[in-house]
Amino acid sequence: MRILLAEDDELLGSGIRAGLAQNGFQVDWVRDGVAAERELATGAYQAAVLDLGLPRQDGMEVLRQVRTRRNTTPVLVLTARDAVPARIAGLDAGADDYLIKPIDLHELAARLRALVRRAHGQSETRLAAGPVELDPAAHQVWCHGEAVELSNREYDLLHALLLNAGRVLSREQLEQRLYQWGSEINSNAVEVHIYHLRRKLGAALIETVRGVGYRIAREPA
Amino acid sequence: MSNAAAPRTPRSLQTRLLTTVLTLVLVAWGVAAALAWHETDEEVSDLLDAHLAQTAALLRLQPLDELDEDRLNEAPELDKHQPRVVFQLWHEDQLLARSASAPLEPLTQRRQRGFADSQVGGNAWRVFVTQGRERDVRILVGELQSVRREIVLASLTSILKPMLWALPLLALGIWWAVRGSVQPLGRLGNAVATRQPQSLESLSTEGVPPEVLPLVTALNELFERMARLLATEQQFTADAAHELRTPIAGIRMQAQVAQGATDTQERATALEATVQGCDRATRLVEQLLQLARLDAESAPDSGSSTPLAEVARHVAADLQATAARRQQRIVLREPLAPGVPIPLPEPLARVLLRNLLDNALRYSPEGAEVQMQIAGHGDGHAQLSVEDSGPGLTPQEQARLGERFFRVLGTGQSGSGLGWSIVQRIARLHHLKVITDRSPGLGGLRATVRW
Repeated sequence: MRILLAEDDELLGSGIRAGLAQNGFQVDWVRDGVAAERELATGAYQAAVLDLGLPRQDGMEVLRQVRTRRNTTPVLVLTARDAVPARIAGLDAGADDYLIKPIDLHELAARLRALVRRAHGQSETRLAAGPVELDPAAHQVWCHGEAVELSNREYDLLHALLLNAGRVLSREQLEQRLYQWGSEINSNAVEVHIYHLRRKLGAALIETVRGVGYRIAREPA
Repeated sequence: MSNAAAPRTPRSLQTRLLTTVLTLVLVAWGVAAALAWHETDEEVSDLLDAHLAQTAALLRLQPLDELDEDRLNEAPELDKHQPRVVFQLWHEDQLLARSASAPLEPLTQRRQRGFADSQVGGNAWRVFVTQGRERDVRILVGELQSVRREIVLASLTSILKPMLWALPLLALGIWWAVRGSVQPLGRLGNAVATRQPQSLESLSTEGVPPEVLPLVTALNELFERMARLLATEQQFTADAAHELRTPIAGIRMQAQVAQGATDTQERATALEATVQGCDRATRLVEQLLQLARLDAESAPDSGSSTPLAEVARHVAADLQATAARRQQRIVLREPLAPGVPIPLPEPLARVLLRNLLDNALRYSPEGAEVQMQIAGHGDGHAQLSVEDSGPGLTPQEQARLGERFFRVLGTGQSGSGLGWSIVQRIARLHHLKVITDRSPGLGGLRATVRW
């Protein structure tokens, strides 16, 4: 899962980035409000962690700008102010969740997973399609009830397809979700990961829509 | 009774006013009564004396031929009030005639014409003496003093009685008026006494008399100042808590990263960051404490004399390690003459210089040079300036320096935003002049402190 982190404090920012990476997130880190707004506008992120006290542009303003442009990326707000009016203002400005500093790494990760799940209209914690089940919290995948070992990239790809079950995702969209800044992208990386996934989970799961992209069929309700 | 040993509860205004006014009224009344007594006594005496003289005159007109020379002639009493005034007609030592109630002895020994007071037969008399038509006849007309006093007393009573009646009415009226006049004060006292301890709302000035209005206004101003002070305090506490939360959040996050790290390099980095975060939080707490102490301090210690150059060398040495971490250099320029001592206690001088130098290092790029220069200016006064090669500050930013927790944004530096607050607080306390401008040599900020 690719996450945008907007935090101006070096210590906290580097900590969140490293911590979320340990929890299987791809994290892009910006240090001011203007950059945060610009990055959010790309729509490449499954969620964003936004500190309210940002230089150049206040976090609250970033949120307002982003929401007026009908960008629905789930945003979790970090704040040092625990006064209720501040929290209400944050939520009203379009935040999906908030955490008060100091924050717990595992709670942050869990809340981000929940935000992404909800953003895709999923209420169950486990995602499933055919014989395959994925648990975002445990970062674990099962096929026919048996645990399957996946690389981080394969896992992210499967997670993205399951979250968007029934919809076709283009190769570019998938690439965006896989790679944080600075990582090298091979032109056929997505095809390679899809190949490995089919090998591990069965060929029928992921469907190729020729000329468009890939899709996992939605589970009949 | 300011010099009385035991403190006495002051009497209430109402009691004081009442006792004073009532005492005054009583004294005035007493004086008036005494005057009335005196006046009445005089007037009535004159009147009665005139009566005596007139009676004597009438008697003088009476022909004495008809009197029987050998026996005592007695005038009959015609009215029950008549015995008040008696007369005697004496021929040499013989009583020719008298009123029925007159004594047999002469009413007075006086022989010349005029009035006399005498004692006859155990009674005090007022007597008028005059010659008869024959030279050897003496006419004495007398009146009992006790009767005269009764008359005086009766007329006095008729004057004083209404005044006596008026006295309690007057007291009641005064009590009512005084009570009504001090009531606004009582109401004000009540309003203040029944307030909630935390309430800093203004008192109503409605219906407050002009004499009390300045008091209420002063109280309201005090409440307002207190409220402002309290608000600043609360804001500061909130800001301080907020500022502490971020480094603590960083420390916690880094510690959790260290816990979850799978390789030693990652763990080492996270632990190093944790330690750094602790240092930062410690520095912030230290600065908060310094500010709190400076806030509590009020009177500058004028007796101290600190060698500025020595303190500057100490501080430069202290921060050498910090500078070296980012390959920065601290250059200390001292004048040729021995440093002028400054009238600032050494601990404060250290805090001042440390904060200035720390800021300069923090906001200068890696490998930069920071200059600290001591010079004399004017007549034997010291001046210290710290210059850096950082980006400098806009005039707007310079104006905001010293606002607690103000930081120039986007510098990527982890300052607390308190250093300048501390510098300016010390400057205010000890009347130092702090000037900020652009460094001509290094291009960054130049801060100059003048004693």
